[in-house]
Amino acid sequence: MKRITAPVISNRSLMPETYLLEVDAPPIAAEARPGQFCMVHCGEGYFLRRPLSIHRAADGLAFWLRVVGRGSAALAGLHPGDKVDIIGPLGNGYSVRPGARSLLLVAGGMGAAPLAFLARKALREERSVTLVIGGRTRTQIYPVEMLPAGLHVVVVTEDGSQGEKGLLTDFLPGLVRNADQIFSCGPVAMYRAMRQIVVDRPVQVSMEAWMGCGMGACYACTTLTRQGPKQVCRDGPVFDIQDILWDEI
Amino acid sequence: MDLSLELFPRHPKGLRLKNPIIAASGTFGYGNEYADMVDATRLGAIVCKGTTLEPRPGNPQPRLLETPSGLLNSIGLQNIGVGAVIRDKAPLWATWPVPVIVNIAGETVDEFGELARRLDGVPGVAAIEVNISCPNVQRGAQEFGADPEQAALVARAVRDATSLPVIVKLTPNVGDIVAVARAVAGSGADALTLTNTLRGMAIDTKRKRPVLGGITGGLSGPALKPVAVAMVYSVYKAVDVPLIGCGGIYTASDALEFLMAGARAVEIGSASILNPDAAVRVIDGLGQWLIEQRVTAVTEIVGIAQGEDRSGVAFYEHH
Ligand SMILES: Cc1cc2nc3c(=O)[nH]c(=O)nc-3n(C[C@H](O)[C@H](O)[C@H](O)COP(=O)(O)O)c2cc1C
Repeated sequence: MKRITAPVISNRSLMPETYLLEVDAPPIAAEARPGQFCMVHCGEGYFLRRPLSIHRAADGLAFWLRVVGRGSAALAGLHPGDKVDIIGPLGNGYSVRPGARSLLLVAGGMGAAPLAFLARKALREERSVTLVIGGRTRTQIYPVEMLPAGLHVVVVTEDGSQGEKGLLTDFLPGLVRNADQIFSCGPVAMYRAMRQIVVDRPVQVSMEAWMGCGMGACYACTTLTRQGPKQVCRDGPVFDIQDILWDEI
Repeated sequence: MDLSLELFPRHPKGLRLKNPIIAASGTFGYGNEYADMVDATRLGAIVCKGTTLEPRPGNPQPRLLETPSGLLNSIGLQNIGVGAVIRDKAPLWATWPVPVIVNIAGETVDEFGELARRLDGVPGVAAIEVNISCPNVQRGAQEFGADPEQAALVARAVRDATSLPVIVKLTPNVGDIVAVARAVAGSGADALTLTNTLRGMAIDTKRKRPVLGGITGGLSGPALKPVAVAMVYSVYKAVDVPLIGCGGIYTASDALEFLMAGARAVEIGSASILNPDAAVRVIDGLGQWLIEQRVTAVTEIVGIAQGEDRSGVAFYEHH
């Protein structure tokens, strides 16, 4: 975990309301593992850092962010050369078993950000990787041409504007059979639906939460698990799907 | 240049702090969560997360959001319970070169007394801070601290249950803060913290519902500072125990406002959530200011703004 004042290398809008923010922060990039995140200071007049999951950690540290409020709007407005105060990498990250040959990655919308990082690493380790990305419409789907070669990609949109038409979870039953391990990032509603489908497979999910400190001190981002209340920032953000008390959160 | 001070002159043992900067409850965990980011042993003291008799899971999500000039939180006192604090945390604190103060919260007067009794004599616990912003379940969930009589009952119950120094942390959600401060100081408190958070809420206009899982929350940060400074200023002359200022301190200049208004020490809350080393930077900035101003001891400026001399007023009126 490091705190760096990092210069912005580039910041471009890939799709409506989403930005690929790349900063120069070698000490953080060197430590970063897929599924970890950083707490990013939004500048003067902002009183909470924003948690951003790490999208890439080679030549520059990259985040893929969506504008949802004041803070993310400020980050979207950063220009090359501007400085950002970043703490990271934080959290546990995904853990891939050494013997897992075939991985299924399930991304709801922006969930593709950390999973693309995981996919790159797993492909380098010569695993077979399938990434399913679901969204309402094509403008919510991560640009497929930016994903690494060798990755098997399945796109599902509710309106059929790109890839298969329907809900991402409709296509899971056919895909989970070959997976040794499943990794997911998306909204809680998607995880709830997935539970019924992936019952006999090990699944790790990344929980989204409104965070404060990012280091387990302020108890803002608590989620409820079989092992008691846990801090998403420090004990997660990645949890076993079986451990979250889905009916209580 | 001397930053040190005695926090509890009325208490037989007292507590000497190396500087007047204290980490506020709920924003600094149990003291070691930020260990990679800041040397917490530089602080004057650390106040741990609010502690109840039994562990609490806290409120539903979401619990913390940013407002135009601060934070709104409804954590709901999630904590590990006093038993785990005594068993797992205090032995660690006993080895630290910084005093740790345990913040306690109860739902009845008796619970506060019981908490104080359990913490009495525990190595590693330097003092108790009593959070009287909690809802009083026997009084329709009104805050204990909103009523001078109830506040005094809590202070007395804690005082009678422990030989440790007792700080009572007041709520700003009151009509007459001086009345509450007098009642509490007259019931055995060794110091007062002013203040806890202001009650507030936010509505999600898309969902047409309150944003916070706890419906209402506590407002902290810059928006709270002038309110808390005014309360320190007006309580200073009314009581003879030290005051600890708290609310929206991010810089040494913010801390100086509280000290000059009459606080002997200050607590830093929300600023640590934004920057884990915020409190240490305030210590450095304060030391720097004292040197620049040729002030030999920080205690010399406590309450200095209470003076009759208003020669500076015209300047501010014209700017
Ligand atoms: C996330 C959060 C949790 C808090 N938890 C507690 C608590 O457990 N007990 C307490 O007495 N005060 C608690 N407070 C209040 C702070 O200790 C402090 O009094 C208040 O935030 C005002 O100071 P600030 O503006 O520097 O944050 C909490 C504040 C925040 C923001």
